[in-house]
Amino acid sequence: MHKIFHNQQVFLTLTLALLSLGSLFLRDAYSINLAIWMALAALCAASLRFVTLIGELNFAIAAFYGIGAYGAGAALTVYNIPFLPALLLGGVIAALVSLVFGYVTLKTKGPYFLLIGFAFTEVMRILYARSDWLGGNSGMVGIFPPSAFGSYFPFFAIGLCSVMILALYLIERSSFGKVLTAIRDNDNVVLSVGINVHMAKVVCFGIGSFVAGIGGSLHGFTNNVISPGDFGFLLSTFALAYLKVGGENSPFGPMLGAIVLLALGSVAMGMGAGEHIFYGAAIVIAVLLFPNGLVGIFSWGYKKLVLDVRSKGEALHESRPAAKPLHKKEQVNG
Amino acid sequence: MQTALQLLFTALQIGSIYILFSLGLTLIFGVMKIVNFAHGQFFTLSALLVSVLVPWFAHHDVPLLPAYLLAAVIAVAVSVALGMLTYQFGFRFFQRDLSGSFILSIGLVLLLEGAYLHYFGGAVRTVPPIIAGDVSILGVTLTSQRLLLGLAAIVATGALYWILMVTQFGKAMRAVAIDHEAAMLQGIPFKRIAFQGFAVATLLGAVAGALLAPISVISPTLGADYLIKGFIAVIIGGLGSVPGAIIGSLFIALVESIGGFYFDPSIANLTIFILVMLVLMVRPHGLLGNR
Repeated sequence: MHKIFHNQQVFLTLTLALLSLGSLFLRDAYSINLAIWMALAALCAASLRFVTLIGELNFAIAAFYGIGAYGAGAALTVYNIPFLPALLLGGVIAALVSLVFGYVTLKTKGPYFLLIGFAFTEVMRILYARSDWLGGNSGMVGIFPPSAFGSYFPFFAIGLCSVMILALYLIERSSFGKVLTAIRDNDNVVLSVGINVHMAKVVCFGIGSFVAGIGGSLHGFTNNVISPGDFGFLLSTFALAYLKVGGENSPFGPMLGAIVLLALGSVAMGMGAGEHIFYGAAIVIAVLLFPNGLVGIFSWGYKKLVLDVRSKGEALHESRPAAKPLHKKEQVNG
Repeated sequence: MQTALQLLFTALQIGSIYILFSLGLTLIFGVMKIVNFAHGQFFTLSALLVSVLVPWFAHHDVPLLPAYLLAAVIAVAVSVALGMLTYQFGFRFFQRDLSGSFILSIGLVLLLEGAYLHYFGGAVRTVPPIIAGDVSILGVTLTSQRLLLGLAAIVATGALYWILMVTQFGKAMRAVAIDHEAAMLQGIPFKRIAFQGFAVATLLGAVAGALLAPISVISPTLGADYLIKGFIAVIIGGLGSVPGAIIGSLFIALVESIGGFYFDPSIANLTIFILVMLVLMVRPHGLLGNR
C-alpha cells in the first residue's frame, strides 16, 4: 500500500481511472453535470499549474479556454465540421494563438506577463462580443455532441480530462519537465548549458494552452451554449482558486481543489450565499492559513499518522533532520 | 482644431483619474513588489460610499457642496481603513512574494466585490451634480465640475510628487523601491515604510474614487474596468515608476478619447492592447522601468 502511495505516477493514474469510471455510476442529471464541471475545473487548474513550472502565472488561461470553446463551436455550427475534428480544432487553434502570444509576451516575466495575460483575456472577450458570425453578445447556440454518444458523453468528457491531466503530469516528469522546473529556479543556469530558454517557455505555454483549449471545447459541448461573458478573467481566478486551495506543489492539488471547492460551492449556492464571496473567502483562507493547500494538510496528516507510528518501532532513529523543518512550518501554518 | 482641443481636454479629464489610480498601483509595486488587484476595490468602495452618503446628507438638508466634501472625507477614511486592515492581516506577510500576494489580492477582489453587491445592490447609482455651470477655455466648453475635479487630481499628483522628491519619507520610499536591503542597511525602517507606502497608495485610490463619483455612474463592479486600464498604464510606463504611470495613464486616456470619438470604445480598448504588446516587444520592462 505504501509503495503505491509513494509511486505518484501509479497512484495518479489509478485515481483518475477510478474517478472517470465512477462517473458511469452517476444517474441523476445534476450530479452528472457537477462531475463534468469538476473535471473541467481540474483540467483548467492543472493547465495553470503546468505553466507555473516555468514560474509564471498564466492569467490568459481564460482566453485560451474561450478560444477553444469558440473554435470548436464555430467549427461545428458554422463550418459543419464533425465532432472529433471540431473538438481537436478548438485545442489546436488555442495552441497556435498561444504560441504567437507567448512568443511575444514570454520575453517579459512575472508581473508583466501576468498583467498582459489579464488584458488579453479581456480583449478576447471584446472580440467575441463584436464578432457577429460568432453570435456577438448573445453568444453561440446549438453546440451538441453527436447523438451516437447517447448517455456516455459525460464519461467521454471526464475521461478525456483525466487523460490530459495525466499527460501533463507525464510531461512534467519527463526531461523536458525538468528543464521547465530548472527555468523556474534559475533561467540563467539553463541558458548557460545551451538550452533555448525562450522556446522552452513558449512550448510549455503552448502545451498548457492546448489543454485549456480542449477543455474549452468540452465546455461548449457540455453546455451547448457559450457566450463572451463565460470567458472573462473570473474563469482564470476560479482556476487559481482550485489550484491554490488544492495545493500547487502536488499533481493531486488541482483535482482535489476543483472537486472540494465545486462540491462545497454547490452546497453554499443552495444555501443562497454569493458565489463571489464563497470563492473569495476560500482563496483568502487558503493563502493565509494553508500555503500548501489541502494536499499539504493531507500529507502532513499522513506523515504524522503513518510515519510516526512506524518510527516508534525504531525509536533510536527517531530524529530525521531533513524532515524536521518541514514539519515545523506546516504545524505553524496549519 | 476645435475637435482636437475638445478631445485633448476629454483625455485630460479621464487621464487625471487614471493617473491617481495607477500611481497607487505603481507605488505599492515599488515599495512592496506586489501586484495589488484589490486596489480597485478600495477605489470602488470610496465611490460607492460617496454615492450613498451624498443623497443621504442631502435628504437631511445639508447643502450639496458640504455634503459632498463630508461624504468624500468619510468615504476616503473608510476605504483607507479597509486597506490598512487588509495590509495588517494579509499583505504584510506577502511582501516581495509576487504570486502569493497576487493570489491573496484576487481573493480579496472576489470577497469584497461579493460583499459590495450584497450590501449596495447591483443597481448603478449617480450623484447629483455638485457644482452647476460650464466654463469655456480656448473655445472649448467644459462643465466646471469636471474641470475642478481634474484640477483636484492634478493637485493630488503634484503633492505626491513633492512628497516623493523632497520629504524624508518620500526619499526613504524611493530608496526601498530601488533596493530594500541596501535601504535597511542605511537604517531605513523597511516595514514601517512599506506600511506607510501602502497607506498612501490606498489613499490615492480612494481619493480617485471619491473624485470620480460625481462625474460617472457608480456600480459595485466599477473597479474592474479601472483596474485593467490602470495596470495597462503601469505596464506601459514601467512597474514602480512614478513618471511612467503618469505617461501611461495620459497615453491610454488619449487613445481612449480619440478612438472613442472616431470609432467606438471597444476599438479603443483593442488598440490599447495592441500598443501594449508593441511596447513590451521593444521594452519588456515598460518605457521607464528598469527591471
